[in-house]
Parts: sequence; structure tokens; C-alpha cells
Amino acid sequence: MGFIKIFTKAKCPKCPAAKEIGKELKKEGVSVLNYDLDTIDGLAEASFYSIRSTPSIVIEDEEEREVISWRGIVPTLQEVKQHLFPLTSSLSPSPGRGEG
Amino acid sequence: MASVIEMKGNQQELFKHEIETTDMALFVRTSDEAMLGWDRQRIVDALMRETYVDFDTAKEVAREVEDLIATSKIKMITSPLIRELVDTKLVERGLEQARKMHTRLGMPLYDVDQLILHPNKENANVPHGPEATNLTLAERIKKEYALLTVFSQEIADAHMRGDIHLHDLGFIDRPYCSGQSLEYIKRFGLSLPNSIAMAKPAKHPEVLLAHMVKFAAALQSHFAGAIGWDSINLFFAPYLVGMSDQEMEQLAQMMIFEFSQQAVARGGQAIFTDLNLYWEIPKHFENVPAIGPGGEFTGKTYSDYLEESQRFAKALFDVYQEGDGSGRPFFFPKPLVHITEKFFQTPGHTDFLYHICDVASEKGNTYFVFDRGETAKISECCRLSFKLDQTDLEDAKHPWKMRYCALQNVTLNLPRIAYLAKGDDAKLFSKTAEFIEMAVKAHLEKKLFIEKLLSLGEKGPLALLAMERDGSPYLRMGRASFLVGMVGLNELVQIHTGQEMHQSKQAFKFGLKVIAHMKLLVDRFSQRYGMRFVLEQTPAESTAYRFAKLDLKFHSPKSGHIVKGDISKGEVYYTNSTYLNNSAVLNPIERVRQEGLFHPLIEAGALTHIWLGEARPSKSSLANFVVKTFQLTQNDQIAFSPEFTACNRCHRTSRGLRSSCAYCGAEDVEGITRITGYFTKLSSWNKGKLGELRDRYRNQAFFAQKNEGMAVEAG
Ligand SMILES: [Zn+2]
Repeated sequence: MGFIKIFTKAKCPKCPAAKEIGKELKKEGVSVLNYDLDTIDGLAEASFYSIRSTPSIVIEDEEEREVISWRGIVPTLQEVKQHLFPLTSSLSPSPGRGEG
Repeated sequence: MASVIEMKGNQQELFKHEIETTDMALFVRTSDEAMLGWDRQRIVDALMRETYVDFDTAKEVAREVEDLIATSKIKMITSPLIRELVDTKLVERGLEQARKMHTRLGMPLYDVDQLILHPNKENANVPHGPEATNLTLAERIKKEYALLTVFSQEIADAHMRGDIHLHDLGFIDRPYCSGQSLEYIKRFGLSLPNSIAMAKPAKHPEVLLAHMVKFAAALQSHFAGAIGWDSINLFFAPYLVGMSDQEMEQLAQMMIFEFSQQAVARGGQAIFTDLNLYWEIPKHFENVPAIGPGGEFTGKTYSDYLEESQRFAKALFDVYQEGDGSGRPFFFPKPLVHITEKFFQTPGHTDFLYHICDVASEKGNTYFVFDRGETAKISECCRLSFKLDQTDLEDAKHPWKMRYCALQNVTLNLPRIAYLAKGDDAKLFSKTAEFIEMAVKAHLEKKLFIEKLLSLGEKGPLALLAMERDGSPYLRMGRASFLVGMVGLNELVQIHTGQEMHQSKQAFKFGLKVIAHMKLLVDRFSQRYGMRFVLEQTPAESTAYRFAKLDLKFHSPKSGHIVKGDISKGEVYYTNSTYLNNSAVLNPIERVRQEGLFHPLIEAGALTHIWLGEARPSKSSLANFVVKTFQLTQNDQIAFSPEFTACNRCHRTSRGLRSSCAYCGAEDVEGITRITGYFTKLSSWNKGKLGELRDRYRNQAFFAQKNEGMAVEAG
């Protein structure tokens, strides 16, 4: 199983919802990394994934390759889980890059 | 002008005995070109006028200096020497501030001699000639002046040490670069302070062009760097209604030749001109009332001039494609084509894209600027562009208000930070913050100085920038940017992590962290001071060389393993800005993608070079490359750079850098390619850039493959 990266900013209306998803997944044992774009590490990581809007969520495989991402939008917990758990069977590159 | 004091032979004996008097029989050649007798009082006067020392001290110093001269038996004394002697006396008394204020600025005879005889290698754009020499002489004095009085000692020392580089010190009394709107001269005509004749708004396109050229020349003498023109094809359009293709071509030719040959500015350089071009009507100008002949509103909006605007853009590229009289690429003006979402929705864009790609492959002129998303962007100057906020969109309704400038450019020596940090992360980040703070301080100091000059208004030295034709000063200080550039991110990462950025993902990510840190810092300073501090990819034509040389001196032996180029030849450099190693073998799409990841952090614009060498890719493969860059990367701007050899005997131009002419075999040839942001002759390059040129990875194999149909997909 891979892991999930959540990109947020302090002043961003939809970010709390994205963080909530992160919390839920953490409870279920998923490794969740939170990045705040107002910090050096957060901004650098966001730049690496070309993330231009918050909140964004990226699922990666073990080799840190992007599996799917939601940019500037908040998916439902179910949607995230769908892509997170059948991970071993679908290692293809991201199908859609929703630009927000 | 050096003043010389000569002692007449027979009088020398005389004053040995009269040592107590001031009546030394010396003649002083003053800088006013007059011969004056020796007068101790002049020293006193100068000290009282220029420094804060008291009268008694001044008198004492003058007497001591006189004694020294009298007893020295020197046959000829120069006036700078007298000043130095006075300075020695001030130093002896611990009067350091007075000594500083009493400094004489100027150059040693040897240096002036060298300068007049040999070309300037600091800026490849400056030709060698009497006008260029004048420029360099003036620059040297203004540079010293800047470092002594405009900047605090802390900042001046940081520059001298090479922690930071203050650009264009020789142009200390001008802002850095600017972005113009043609609408200003269309509306107000050419009415410049201090100029004798006032011209009303142009009625004909040729006259408008003449106004533009003259205004550009006037502006160039008020800015150190580039003069950019926004949406130039669109703003010309209302003057082009009903023009035949031939007339259009003629006008395009005039524009390009005028700007490529106007060697009037800054020591006989061509005016550093950027022409920003759009295939579509930029969104923010769609409903703006158009200004036409005579400065009158035409009753239409700019949307109604799409056809003329496009025809003119096309005609300009026809001229670029031809090249100059001997088939060489035009060095100036630089055409910047904006590729936007709307570009792809505008009919005819495919043909136009092919056309400009053809020129890019053939001559290299085209710059592809990518404005993604729905936000409107405007190009300022150099590579400076920014997103239009609400105020700008208001201004866009009156486009003549859209005048922008960057006041100054300060570049950080990033490898220096890494040497100092000695592998300690925390230290590296705190040092970076210190360096940025120095850059900010330098900007505050320069701003204060320029504001002082501007406050003298239309009677002052910056009258042109202070003129108020539309209710606000021509230079809008409130809209000014302050650039913080960087050199050698790649080497910083290499020193700190042991790997260059292209060598591992970890190293690359560390590079991103450093730039993210810098970006957050300039944002914070912008808030604190209410000024626009932005990161910039410094073109660093000579800075990359200067920093490398200084670090070889101060951080040896470590730096010896780090600097790029050939140390034995002295051809050393650091990799420019946030670029990946020039010699790294990387698929060009991958280079454009990776370098592009930095671009959103570098607000003042960024660029990736694709060195073509001898390759001449097909227009369709370049077009494909451009579209992919737009869609799949964050890259802000790309340019393809071919290399040429121009023959001085048969005056023909061949592809690639050769030691002899491909047509006639003559060895009297001149290599031409892009140095940083413009084309120029290799003979004028400094050693650092020559080192880089040897290292450049030319993407010949990649484009050869593409031409054979083996399309390489974007990764
Ligand atoms: Zn020849």
C-alpha cells in the first residue's frame, strides 16, 4: 500500500474538509502526510507535484509515484478509499488531474 | 580629468628656503582646465566643503600636507595624490568618516589606457568604440559612488565580498527595467521634458513607429535594462486598417530594423527591446475602447482589430525568418509570443504556431511565454511578468496607465551560502534568510535614492520618469517590483548534499526547498514593507562568472571541486539561477518539465533554454514540443537556441559553430548564439560564459530522432 499526501493552507475554506479525510484514514492505519503550503517543506513538496491550489490530495505508491490526485477539490472519503485500497492491482499513472 | 602640479625646475630650489610660506611656486592644473598657483587654502576649503572636520583641523592638515610636498622633492604631483595625502592625514587622526567623504572617484591611468584599447567583456551587448568607452568610464565612477554613498557599508561590503551582487551599479541613478504601453504615445504624442519639439499624436503608422523608436531611446537612457512593449501587434492594429500585405511587411521590416540598428543607447548598444505579441485579443483588452490615428478613440473596441493584429504579428515573423542582410538572426528586438488558453481557441493558431516554430528552428528568435489558466498576465520587462490583480484590470481599461518597472535587481550567491553552512541544514536556511535580508536592505536603499532624484520632478535628472501627462508620474513607484535573483542553486545543492539536482530526486527536492524558503521570505518582506519583492531568474551574464571566481578565492579548496567550466583556462562559472547542470544529458522535454517545477515560485518570470546546436528540427516537432510544454508542465517560458557562423569575407551565415566558413572556407568568421537572454557574437563573451558554452548539452540527437518520425513522448 502507498501513502497519501494532503496539501493545505491556513486560510483556505475547503481545507478543513481535506484534513478531516486525512484524520479518518490515519485512524484506519493509512500513512498520511500533511503539508502546509505556508511552510518550506509544504511549499517545496507542493511545487514538486505542481500543486497550484489548496486543498489537494495525492495518492502515491511505494516508489513515491503519483497514482491519483485531486487538486483544488475535496473528494469523498469513499472515493479516496477506492483508489487507496485496490492499489496493488492498479499501478497505472494518474487517470485524471482535476485542475482546480 | 587629472589635475597635475608641476614644479618648475628653478623654483624648486627657491621654495626649499621658503618652506614656511604658502607661496610655493607650483602650478596646479585643475579639472576646470585652468592653471592655478599652489594655494594651501584650497585644501582647507575642500575639507570644509566636503567633510565635517573643524576649521583648525583642516588648517593643520593642509599645513602638514604642504610640508610633505615641499620636503619630498617630487618633480610632478598629481591632484589625486594631494587628495590621497590629505586622506592619509585624516586617517592618522582617526577621522574615517571625513576620509570617506573626501574620497576621490576615478580610475588609474593604466586602466583607462586598457579600456580605450580593449573591448568590455562584462556585457557582450556593448560594442567597442569611443561611445562604449565613455559608458565604461562613467559606469566606473557611478559604481564607486553607489558603493560609497547610496548603499550602506554593510551592503557595499556584501557586494564586494560576493555574497550578493548589486546589478547595474554603474547605472545607479536609473531604475532597472520597464514595461511600456504603446497607448501612452498614441494618446499623448511625443512630448518629453527637455526636448525641443513636441509631436502631437501620430496619424500614420510610420509616424507612430518613429515615435515609438524615439520614446524607446529616451527611455533607454533612463533605465539600465530592458524596455518591454506590451501587446504591440494589437496596439498598432487600429493604424493598420486597409493596409496591403506589402505595406504591412514594409512596416514590420521598419520596426525590426529600427530596433536592431538603433545603436544609440548606453554606449552604443542596441536598445534592449522586448516585443510582446498575442495571436488572440488578450482577455483584458477585449472590451477596451481602441485608440487610433490622431490619438482619437475609433469608436470600436480592440476585439474589432483581431485581423489587423494577426496580420501584423505574422508579418513581423516573416521578417525574423529572413534575418538581416546577411541572413543572421536579428539580435533585437526580441519577440515574445504569449501562449494562452485563448490562443488555442483562436482560429488560425495552428498555422501561426507553425510559423513561429519555423522561425525558432531557423533563427531562434521566438520566445514562447506560457500564461496558463484563466488569470490574465502581463509582461513587464526582462522576464518579469505578473498576474493582473483588480487594480491592474481597472488600469487595463485605460491601457496607457499600464507602465511598470523593476527598480533594481540583487542576486544572491547561493553556493556561498552552502560553503558557509558546512552541511548544517539549519545554518543553510538561516544564512539564506540573512542573504535575502541584505537584498531587501539594498532595495530599500536604492529606492530611497531614486525617490530623492524623482522628487526633483520635471526639473530633475529623471524628468522623463517624473513627467505627469495623465495625472500620475510616468514611473509609478507604487507598482514597482524589486527583484531578488539567485545564481548557482545547482551548486548549493551539490555542496550541501553531495549530488547535483539532476542526479537524484532527493537532491532535486532539496533545491525546491531552498527556493520555497526564499519565496516565503520575499513574501513576508513584501508584507512588512508594502513593496513587491519577487524572485527572479537572474540572467547572470557576468555574475555567474564573478561569483565562481570569488569563491575560488575565498572557499578553496572545496570550491575547486564545485565550480563548473575549465579552471586551468579560467573559464569558470556557476550554473545560472535554478537551472539544472548545462551538460546534463536530459531529454529536453524532461528538462523543461523539471526546471519548470521551480517556475511557479519565481514570480518575476523564468525560462528554460533548449540548446539546438546544429540541429534544425521541423516546425511540426517544435510545435508539438511547445504544445506539450503548455499542457504538461509548469514551465513559464522556453526558447530554442541554434548556433551560427557568420563569415566576414563572403557575408553568408551557416549553421553551427565552425572555425571556417562553410561556403568560402574563410577563417575570418564569427560564432553567434544566445548568451543568456539574447543572441550575440561569441568574440564578446566573458570567460565564464565561454566555459558554459563548451558544456552546453545540445539536443541534436533528440531532434534528429523526432525528425525521422521517432516521436519521443513526454514523460
Ligand atoms: Zn564565407
